[in-house]
Amino acid sequence: MRNIGKITALAALLLSTAAIAHADTLTLEPGKEVNMVLLPKFLGILVFDQANEGAQEAHKELSNPGKLEFLGPTPENSVAGQIEIMTTATTQKQGAVMLSNNAGDQIAPAAKAAQDGGTKVVTWDSPIPSGEGESIFVAQVDFASIGVVMADMAHSILGGAGEMAVLSATPDASNQNAWIEAMKKALAADAKYKDIKLVDVVYGDDQAEVSYSRALALVDKYPNLGLIMSPTTVGIQAAAKAMQDEGLCDKIKVSGLGLPSEMVSYTLNGCAPEFALWDFRDLGYLTYYTAYGLASGQMKGEVGETFKAGRMGEYTIEADPGRANAKRILMGPFTVYNKSNVEAAAK
Amino acid sequence: MNKQSLLALSPQLLRILALVAVTGLILLFFATQIENYLNGRLFNRISSSVAVMALIATGQTLVILTRNIDLSVGSTVGFTAFAAGSLITLMPDLNPALLVAYAALLGAGFGLVNGLLVAYASVPSIIVTLATMALYRSLLVEFSNAKSITSESLPAWLVDFPNLPVISIGDLQVRAGFLVAVTIVFLAHLALTRLRPARRIFAVGSNPEAAAMAGIDSRRVVLVAFILSGMLAGLAGFMFLARFGNITVVAGLGFELKSIAASVVGGVSINGGSGSVIGAFLGTILVDLIDSSLVRWPIVSEFWREAVLGAMILIAVAVDTLFIRRLDRMRAARAHETALAQQGAKS
Repeated sequence: MRNIGKITALAALLLSTAAIAHADTLTLEPGKEVNMVLLPKFLGILVFDQANEGAQEAHKELSNPGKLEFLGPTPENSVAGQIEIMTTATTQKQGAVMLSNNAGDQIAPAAKAAQDGGTKVVTWDSPIPSGEGESIFVAQVDFASIGVVMADMAHSILGGAGEMAVLSATPDASNQNAWIEAMKKALAADAKYKDIKLVDVVYGDDQAEVSYSRALALVDKYPNLGLIMSPTTVGIQAAAKAMQDEGLCDKIKVSGLGLPSEMVSYTLNGCAPEFALWDFRDLGYLTYYTAYGLASGQMKGEVGETFKAGRMGEYTIEADPGRANAKRILMGPFTVYNKSNVEAAAK
Repeated sequence: MNKQSLLALSPQLLRILALVAVTGLILLFFATQIENYLNGRLFNRISSSVAVMALIATGQTLVILTRNIDLSVGSTVGFTAFAAGSLITLMPDLNPALLVAYAALLGAGFGLVNGLLVAYASVPSIIVTLATMALYRSLLVEFSNAKSITSESLPAWLVDFPNLPVISIGDLQVRAGFLVAVTIVFLAHLALTRLRPARRIFAVGSNPEAAAMAGIDSRRVVLVAFILSGMLAGLAGFMFLARFGNITVVAGLGFELKSIAASVVGGVSINGGSGSVIGAFLGTILVDLIDSSLVRWPIVSEFWREAVLGAMILIAVAVDTLFIRRLDRMRAARAHETALAQQGAKS
């Protein structure tokens, strides 16, 4: 991972020889007072809490005398609640809002107003699709590479040929939609995937019971289905449970993005032989460093700027290949879990 | 069936027959549209899936019968599912009966708060339960501390119980979870039709003034209806935990509207005083059947499914209303004829 970071930094260095100042690694000065808000999609989901732990760690490390608040909407009010918290943060003159966006482009006007009022908006986990009102997106992994990883897991589980269906979160979750598109592209790009057929995409709304019944409906709808790919931690778990409950694991496997602690039994019993995820603590940590740098005025947030994010090393701001006019910082990598490593990670 | 024998049946029974007929028609319709539709598996899917909702709809029906509404049931299900899950995780050897009682009492406690506010503080139920819906959900977010319950941490008896086949005929299985739900619905039905104290619920709902004149303490009746609704939601929370195993703070989200839909489709009058829990049970089955069949119907895309479901519910309710109104008119006409005939005989 460090190496990838260095290579990216090197590439940025080579690309921006004209602006040598940008290629210097910036070390952020600690102790600046900046109030910040970490705004997840909604409260009460383990991965977001892990991101908060990471952000709190960075908050202490940078000895910011300001406040770091973990504020999120309740689940049934996610979209409206996120917009409301964004607006409140603007009127409170917060230094930065760190947003995992669940509101699609609906949040763009509120984010723009925040920027106009001097509040930086750093997105993480899930960006603002149009990039409007967003300073920088801290991408957990390259979205295109998630597509390749999911295609590869499908390839290995299906043994190169078979039918696959996707069980996603909500229809307007911008990260899941981007990953599904990336997977479709990956499947089309390489001839080795030619016998894998993506038959359907359904949405479980990130709720256990909806995901569970959607997974079973897929089984009934496609008699030859071999794999359910679920790029969401709620969906993958519900699908695995549904297959196990109905005794279908021999025929239909589950894969996607999941938490080792929630998936360990399904991986060991063969229902979900392989799945992937990244570290949400690191994501929160890196997001905090980025937002702190921007809000304290030490970073300009321009493409090519390189800075040191504490224990995680150097990162460079680059143009987001997936979204025009948007900027990102790429964290990476992610881990593929299977029988050999899931138990250790689940602890 | 001719006009006379149709009129001899009670309106409630007719409504139930009409629901069964509509369910049959919908089954036939989808059988022509979807391959391999009518089989034992369909029964297994629907019966397992309605087991949770049937309990909530029964409680909702009790409340609606008293001219009130309970919007907090979804949050109650979520909270009790999580709390029961935490308890059994901490004490894996706990007696199953105690766990069930814990969930039911917790739900009843939530119902008690609703009932006191509605009956004794005279706040409209839609306001009270709208507030407690948010309140109970926020309590859950607070209580959960961003952790989730996973099926790994639950004892095997709990996870296996809902899917335990009690009766098997080929593919078709009558499972324990469904049997429990049917039993509870049947007991509630017996109580409502046979027990004098339970009949008071109808009296208060159809004519509060008359009920008061008859010496019925309508406040107490409303309070009891809310407590029972909370208790049934608590039991549903237990069933939810057993069936899905993985509980996050979104558990039970939206169940309030689904339970109201099931009751109304099942012929429970939203104006109170009229309806049956058997009807609400059939309504639950009908809504679930339509919902899960639509997922398998290739003609309807993901984005239209909700709209089609809504339209089908509207049609079901409209047909029911027209049918009952027509029947009332026929009955009135017959009463008129009989009266005329009697007059003729006298003179």
